[in-house]
Amino acid sequence: MSIADSSVQPDLSPVLDDGGQAEAAPAPGISPWELAVRRLKRNKPALIFGALFFLLGALALAAPLWAQVADTTPAKNHLSDTIVVNGKSEQVVTFDGVPIGPTFQKKFFLGADSNGRDVAVRLLYGARNSLFIGITAGIITAFLAVLLGTLAGYFRGWTDAIISRSLDVMWAFPVLLLGVALGVSLALGGLQIGPLSISGNSKWIPTLIIGVVSVVYLARPIRGQVLSLREKEFIEAARAHGAGPLKIMFTELLPNLASTILVFFPLLVANAILLEAALSFLGAGVQPPEPSWGTMLANGVELLSTAPHLTIVPGLMLVLTVLALNVFGDGVRDARDPRAKVRLEH
Amino acid sequence: MPRSLRGVLCLSFACAAMFGLAACGGDDPEGAGTTTGGGTAASDGGGTSGGTIKTAYTSFPDHLDPALSYSQEGWQSLWTVYTPLLTYKHSEGAEGATVVPGLAEDMPDISADGKTYKLKLRRGLKYSDGKAVKASDFEHSIKRVLNLESGGSSFYLGIVGAEKYVKDGKARADIPGIVTDDATGDITINLVEADGRFPYILTMVFASLVPGDTPFQNMTKDPPPGVGPYKFENVRINRGYDLVKMPDFNVADQQVGKLDKIEIEIIKNRRRQTQDTIQNKIDYMNDPPAPDQLRDVRAQYTDKRYKEFVTNSTYYFYLNHDIAPFNKPEARQAVNYAVDKRSLARLFGGLLEPGCNFLPPGMQGYQKIDPCPWGDPTAAPDVAKAKQLVKQAGVKGQSVTVFGNDEPESKPITEYLSDVLNDIGFKAKPRIIEASVWIATIGNQKTKAQTGFANWFQDFPHPGNFFFLVDAKSIQPTNSQNYGSVNVPEIQEIFNEANQNPDIDAVADDYARADRLLVEGAHVVPYGHRKLTVFYSDRMDFENCTVWHPVYNLDFTNLCLK
Repeated sequence: MSIADSSVQPDLSPVLDDGGQAEAAPAPGISPWELAVRRLKRNKPALIFGALFFLLGALALAAPLWAQVADTTPAKNHLSDTIVVNGKSEQVVTFDGVPIGPTFQKKFFLGADSNGRDVAVRLLYGARNSLFIGITAGIITAFLAVLLGTLAGYFRGWTDAIISRSLDVMWAFPVLLLGVALGVSLALGGLQIGPLSISGNSKWIPTLIIGVVSVVYLARPIRGQVLSLREKEFIEAARAHGAGPLKIMFTELLPNLASTILVFFPLLVANAILLEAALSFLGAGVQPPEPSWGTMLANGVELLSTAPHLTIVPGLMLVLTVLALNVFGDGVRDARDPRAKVRLEH
Repeated sequence: MPRSLRGVLCLSFACAAMFGLAACGGDDPEGAGTTTGGGTAASDGGGTSGGTIKTAYTSFPDHLDPALSYSQEGWQSLWTVYTPLLTYKHSEGAEGATVVPGLAEDMPDISADGKTYKLKLRRGLKYSDGKAVKASDFEHSIKRVLNLESGGSSFYLGIVGAEKYVKDGKARADIPGIVTDDATGDITINLVEADGRFPYILTMVFASLVPGDTPFQNMTKDPPPGVGPYKFENVRINRGYDLVKMPDFNVADQQVGKLDKIEIEIIKNRRRQTQDTIQNKIDYMNDPPAPDQLRDVRAQYTDKRYKEFVTNSTYYFYLNHDIAPFNKPEARQAVNYAVDKRSLARLFGGLLEPGCNFLPPGMQGYQKIDPCPWGDPTAAPDVAKAKQLVKQAGVKGQSVTVFGNDEPESKPITEYLSDVLNDIGFKAKPRIIEASVWIATIGNQKTKAQTGFANWFQDFPHPGNFFFLVDAKSIQPTNSQNYGSVNVPEIQEIFNEANQNPDIDAVADDYARADRLLVEGAHVVPYGHRKLTVFYSDRMDFENCTVWHPVYNLDFTNLCLK
């Protein structure tokens, strides 16, 4: 994966230089942020998909309520149970292992999986895990990327060489393989960092893995941005006023990186959700009994033709969530800087 | 062998078996053994001779070297190419599990103390390349097993000097416990201590004879010559190989092949295999049809082209006797009461025979435990009783980690057990471990595995090959195979005595008693025995040529076309 080349990096200089185009220039008395909000409000698809994303988030939060309605939990097996559908008693899982399809009633609304677990309940709990991991991993990525990119760009020299080459090494690994390798090894023994101990089946393991392996996507553009910003007059002025590197980074550089981070963040979250699903699909992500869209997809593959709902339902949720984030993220990017073309490239 | 270590369905169990179910022709499938192949008339078991079939495997066998192969796919083919000194009849049921002379003239002469086995090689035997078979080839074959650190090497460490041979690491060194005479064909094997299982160990593919100049290296790419009804040709690693009939194979009492050629092709996608078999593009698929096609295959082809066979295997949950909460009998009983064997059968798509015994039904010493002390295996479990026992034991709310591996059959079962334990009052969580390190992890005492998924497919049809899983002698600090650390003096006493007796009929009742004590004491939670399948194309003679061997599964030498 690589970030689009520098010619298409977002121009996030403190004053938008639009080359004379009136549309990009802020109107008198309106801050760039207010202008961005105005632009975003005009972008209906972005708003719709943004609303969809927040709806998915709300549904995820409501998972325990639906579990109560369905009278089950995401891990509860109902292998030998029966259920009345349209006045007819049906087995949740048949003797030959085929689970019931969507009933569109309280119990097994979206059907059952091969362990006789309620797909709708697992889907909502899976959404919680996907969103938690996506957003948390996005925050971890942003934090590390800003830290490393700023240090590398500001100090240059050896600091830059070490950080940039380390990022190059990470870049050289296929992210998924790196994630799988880390996921499998950490799932066995867990993670011990000083006093911090994370058990092997904690969802913090995939969260940290995704957060770390995605750093390269953002650290590079941040570094480029800082390299450019550090030569600007306002930085020189700050230096002339005796500001130290730390102060310059926090008070001068960071505010000017906000747009880049903001533009990248939804894309990072979408990418993290996809990566989590892929890792879970391969058994290196979310561990049982926690449900995840990736593990749900993996469970459904074997029964693709007899129980297609097992793959369609989580697949659809995954597509909708990532699509919502991408369209919303594009909207934010367009609103903040209409000329920028930022994307995460695999 | 535990099944979950290798690929899809036939991973590491070499010898799944089943007794007396297949529709077999009325004739004796064992055959006269003196007929030479290549003829047109059926020599035995009905059906026609000649022709070529195409067979699909999901994965390439682990090895095509008799010293190294330790998988069902491998052994199925290797048994047709190599013959050990002792072997089995090419029959179903108990008859197929009977040890008979292979390349040895007769059954071994065993000394009174059970430590010395004397055999004599048949005269005039030749390998598929025309070289004469020598008695000293046996020692060379065992040396290869030991020197190559084969998965089967542990079986032969009971031979005097074998451990030292392994320790010294000198390939050409002598194993003093094996004395051979090429002139007379005499082979004498001395054991460190009496082992009633040793005749069965001599039947294993590992002990097949290969020429004395076979290199001490993995010969899968170019398998060594053997003495058998077929030979390997056209070996393409990870793609396939052919079994070609040996027209001159002529060993008294040994089965000759019916088909001229069996082409084995690796097709990873079981859905495609099933489809190709339905469409007669493939004549036999080794693995069961894909789960989503199983229902249709069952409905349309059962007893015409498709059949299920119960194997000599056991699926069970181990309960660690050394660690809370399962160090308390009531806690173990509770799990036995709560496990729903009907539910577990569903997780196998019906390819599991629910049962109460630890020993599988096809095994010597099997006596059905009826009524099952924990309830009928085909009826609903007694969860209320289980909850009461958990409360009574004072272990309610205790944390339990349920170990399983990431193979398709283990993962859902592990999750199921975790759910059951939560239901009856424990605080359980599944722990899924990558399959390649799973056994090492749960077999390490430091892991303190409380409970989890386990299974076993026989290596040879002897109860001792199952009971070692609950034998105190198998408890080790690392690589322990007695995962639950079962150590019950009353049962151990039975094992200690019965394991030494080579007359399995004489100790069958003792093994049955051990099985009953194991189940009644709730020392393990056995829940069933795996079924495997045969699915043919329309070209195959299903009725007359299907012999499901208790050790090697479908017998290739009996296969024939309509």
